[in-house]
Amino acid sequence: MSGRVIVITSGKGGVGKTTTNANIGTALARAGKKVVMIDTDLGLRNLDLLLGLENRIVYTIVDVVEERCKLKQALVKDKKNPNLCLLAAAQTRDKTAVTEEQLKDICEKLKKDFDFILVDCPAGIEQGFQNAVAGASEAIVVTTPEMSAVRDADRIIGLLEAKEEIKSYKLLLNRVRPNLIKSNDMMSVDDVVEILSAELIGIIPEDTGIITSTNKGEPIVNDEKSLAGKAYNNVARRIIGEDVPFLNLEEPQGVMAKIKKFFSGLTGKEK
Amino acid sequence: MDKGYIENGFIVDVSNAHKTSEIIYELSRILDLPDAQSKKVCLKLGSVDLTTTELTSIKALVESMNSEIEFINTSSQYTVKSAEELNIEVSVLENKVPMPEFNGDQEKVNRELEKALDKIFGDENTEIKTFAQEKDLKKLQQDAPAEPVEPIEEIKTESISSENQMETIDKSEFAADKDEKSENTVNASVSIETADFNPAEELKDFNKELENANKIEGEDIEDIDYNLDDLRKSLRETEKLPTLYIQRTLRSGQSITSDGNIVIIGDANPGSEIIAKGDITVWGILGGIAHAGSAGNRYAKIRALKMNAIQLRIADTFARRPDNINIPYIQKTDTFIPEEACIYKKQILIHKIHES
Repeated sequence: MSGRVIVITSGKGGVGKTTTNANIGTALARAGKKVVMIDTDLGLRNLDLLLGLENRIVYTIVDVVEERCKLKQALVKDKKNPNLCLLAAAQTRDKTAVTEEQLKDICEKLKKDFDFILVDCPAGIEQGFQNAVAGASEAIVVTTPEMSAVRDADRIIGLLEAKEEIKSYKLLLNRVRPNLIKSNDMMSVDDVVEILSAELIGIIPEDTGIITSTNKGEPIVNDEKSLAGKAYNNVARRIIGEDVPFLNLEEPQGVMAKIKKFFSGLTGKEK
Repeated sequence: MDKGYIENGFIVDVSNAHKTSEIIYELSRILDLPDAQSKKVCLKLGSVDLTTTELTSIKALVESMNSEIEFINTSSQYTVKSAEELNIEVSVLENKVPMPEFNGDQEKVNRELEKALDKIFGDENTEIKTFAQEKDLKKLQQDAPAEPVEPIEEIKTESISSENQMETIDKSEFAADKDEKSENTVNASVSIETADFNPAEELKDFNKELENANKIEGEDIEDIDYNLDDLRKSLRETEKLPTLYIQRTLRSGQSITSDGNIVIIGDANPGSEIIAKGDITVWGILGGIAHAGSAGNRYAKIRALKMNAIQLRIADTFARRPDNINIPYIQKTDTFIPEEACIYKKQILIHKIHES
């Protein structure tokens, strides 16, 4: 088995790299793939929290690198899905504790046992980013429809193109608010794609459910009703190779909105 | 006539009283004591205005206890008048009361105190010891920040010894995974449904983990029971260890390692790490990882006002916070019940320190 190593990066912080990682990883595992997630955000780890695995971490990636334990010992298995594993980052160390070569080595070893290796990249373009990208052959660039995030994503794409190891990169647009786009207050999906001229792999709508799911330590893809969860599931299916159309993000209209529309229609007729 | 003190008597100071009833209550309380009977009494009455009848009743009360009023002291002219009618002496008190000599007794008391202390601590030269401890502590505090963050050697050797077992467990688990995977690939649509939460399986998993944890502990632990003699010995040894005293909140990513005990006045937030060869005491919320007795002392203890630790480790035993309790942050307004974690029957047991 030779797994695909995908790095999830963005440049800017707070656009949803870690959330994306947790959800895509869980969705892939639910589809029957063997998935391991590597958190390379040393010193500011969050991925374990999002998955609710914080209390199970004994060994971290630094312990593996410094040969205090074997790689398999450090893999934390998910509570529900046995296909899903996490290699946690150390909280008490900084980015210099792991080198590019060491991460490459870990990815090579994990490739034998897993279908997908998702690398969660820290924000910024310093050592942490270089480490995370080192072992990867594919990349997903997460961005939001804001000028600053798009600018940073552009910079990241430039850096990724310069790397020989990265065979392909795709764009994931996060926290999209269809209502704002409609009223011309937010950059539209097409605008972003045009600026970055990169292939789109998913559009995730803004969802308050993300906040609760983060606090609960439960990825939102496990919630069948959530629109964001569906969108993440579709991204996972596209990664596997299925052809899935993009979701219609128009929010379903409530009863009040329908009544309002009805009455406005009536008054219009009278005139 | 000024009198500083009274022979064979005592002074009752009720100058703070505002009512006659308060004076009578206080007097009756004092005169009820066996030592206060058949004595001469001086009353400090303060500024309360007392009528003749009230003063008479006070006098009668004192006399009912076989005592008599030597003189009274008051700032109220009204009371002075009533006192003159009853032929009670009014005087001013001086503050110069000669101190009784207790020196002989004091030495005795000191000696007995020392004896009692020796009984408790079992050492004659406790003073010298504490001084030495202070020295160690200072040294330790100087060294502490520069200390590299590194789990203690004991853990390393332990992990190496348990590696073989771990590997075998891993292999079996992976084999199980493969079986499940093949099922999944055959029937992908069903697999999504079955992947849902299964409490029974979860419990099985947990039990399995528990078993594994016990296996990893090794053979030498089998013989050791909760031995009282050993407990006392280890308690004394823990007392002798230097103590690192930290008066701030330990934040995420901060790690403290000590060869002795650690006391933290403040919280230890989630993501922090405390590793001590002795005991750990957190005067606040313990939310991070705590490892007591890291050199192998199974009698080490972890105490906190509020136990919310992600993981507790004592010597080579390990406990984690249950998954169903997900409280990342505790309200500081909650009432705290101090708790203590120790090893009991090869597992970590958390109990309340004070049952009430």
